[in-house]
Amino acid sequence: MWDWNYAFEVLPDIASALWVTISATLVGFVLALVVGLIWTLMIRSNNKIISNVADGIVKFIRNTPLLVQLYFIFYVFPQFGLSLEPFTAGVIGLGLHYSTYLSEVYRSGIESVGPGQWEVATALNFDTRKTWTRIILPQAIPPVLPVIGNYFITMFKETPLLSAITLVEILQTAQNIGAGTFRYTEPLTIVGVLFLLLSYPASVALRQLEIRVTERY
Amino acid sequence: MSEPIVRYNNVTKYFDDLQVLDGIDFEIQPGEKVALIGPSGSGKTTFARLLMTLEEITDGTIEVEGDYLWHEQDDNGDLKPASTEHLRKVRSNIGMVFQHFHLFPHMTVLENVMEAPVTVQGRDKKEAKKAAEEMLDKVGLLDKADSYPAQLSGGQKQRVAIARALVMNPKVLIFDEPTSALDPELVGEVLDVIKDIADQGDTSMLLITHEMDFAKEVADRIAFFDGGKIIEDGPPSEILYNPKAPRLKEFLERFMNTQSSPE
Repeated sequence: MWDWNYAFEVLPDIASALWVTISATLVGFVLALVVGLIWTLMIRSNNKIISNVADGIVKFIRNTPLLVQLYFIFYVFPQFGLSLEPFTAGVIGLGLHYSTYLSEVYRSGIESVGPGQWEVATALNFDTRKTWTRIILPQAIPPVLPVIGNYFITMFKETPLLSAITLVEILQTAQNIGAGTFRYTEPLTIVGVLFLLLSYPASVALRQLEIRVTERY
Repeated sequence: MSEPIVRYNNVTKYFDDLQVLDGIDFEIQPGEKVALIGPSGSGKTTFARLLMTLEEITDGTIEVEGDYLWHEQDDNGDLKPASTEHLRKVRSNIGMVFQHFHLFPHMTVLENVMEAPVTVQGRDKKEAKKAAEEMLDKVGLLDKADSYPAQLSGGQKQRVAIARALVMNPKVLIFDEPTSALDPELVGEVLDVIKDIADQGDTSMLLITHEMDFAKEVADRIAFFDGGKIIEDGPPSEILYNPKAPRLKEFLERFMNTQSSPE
């Protein structure tokens, strides 16, 4: 049933594909962090049009499946002249999808900053940008860092979806190996174990962060 | 008498259908300390918040050193709503100390006081640090420079907030019930600091307070608000000991009877 020799034979190939998974997660998450903040700021805009359009887009993306979005970006966009590499398409899909969740996280963080901080910013004559960067965000972000970290781990575990748009990440690599030898047990188990080895320490670290944040706020 | 530093012309304020200020005319002279008294909802806080631009004016104008605060004049001399730049420029003359302090919790005491001089006024960091330390010394908290707000008592927090407002060199400083959120035993230290500033500074002050003794001691003039209007306005001796308006008499009597909870 389980063949150690075979397992060790396929391990290097799978492990090297881990790099694709990790870089897709990192790039996708940075995109999600930035775009998520942009959504939040747009939704809070005094301009009703900007606010409603952003709110609509966010609701639309959040309430449709990531897999459908990935298919759309990869298979439908080219018909409109936008052909993307699997990695690029995947990162955009992941980043956009998670940006809508992070936008909600930012919102809750920002709302936890009391109205007094805005008023004192006005009283000290801060402009809008400095009010955000110096006063509001430094207070809004730390309390929600654990939630942000949680989304990071969740996103990491969702990257195998990118195999659906032909990205040869870790799951796709395992599948390719399996398809060549008709032996799926070892490669797929290795995939699971590798995910576990990375996510579990990350969630332990996150738990520590959560404790520290709770102590401070 | 010199030019007033602040002038309210027929200022009216509505919150939706509710009128809170009813055509107020008022002047503050340079260096003058004015206490605002009156029952809750009488409009005194809104009156001050309009000057700090925390509420938008509904009608009328406010001038600060001859510049319109909420308006700009176009080429024909007609008034139009002020641009953000104009508002910020005129607002830079005004400072405010809040009832609930609103210190920046993520910064040390020193950083709280240094932040706006550096970020807003673009002052040199070294110079701002020195100025901030001087202000902290003035309010007696230089030894707390490296503490965080959460480590301070309410009275200390309010003194830091005062230093933070003062370091910006405002021409007019608003105090919005600066001791109302404090435990009784901490009120004195804050009032002492305010009194010091009043005695030595040429900053004009607008002081919303329920501390009548303090108002008497610090203010050159007391204005009594009721129903969105200034009913009576004069030197403390007149307002407190020789009130003319029936509403003011009533307010002072009620106030003397319920000193512990003036509201």
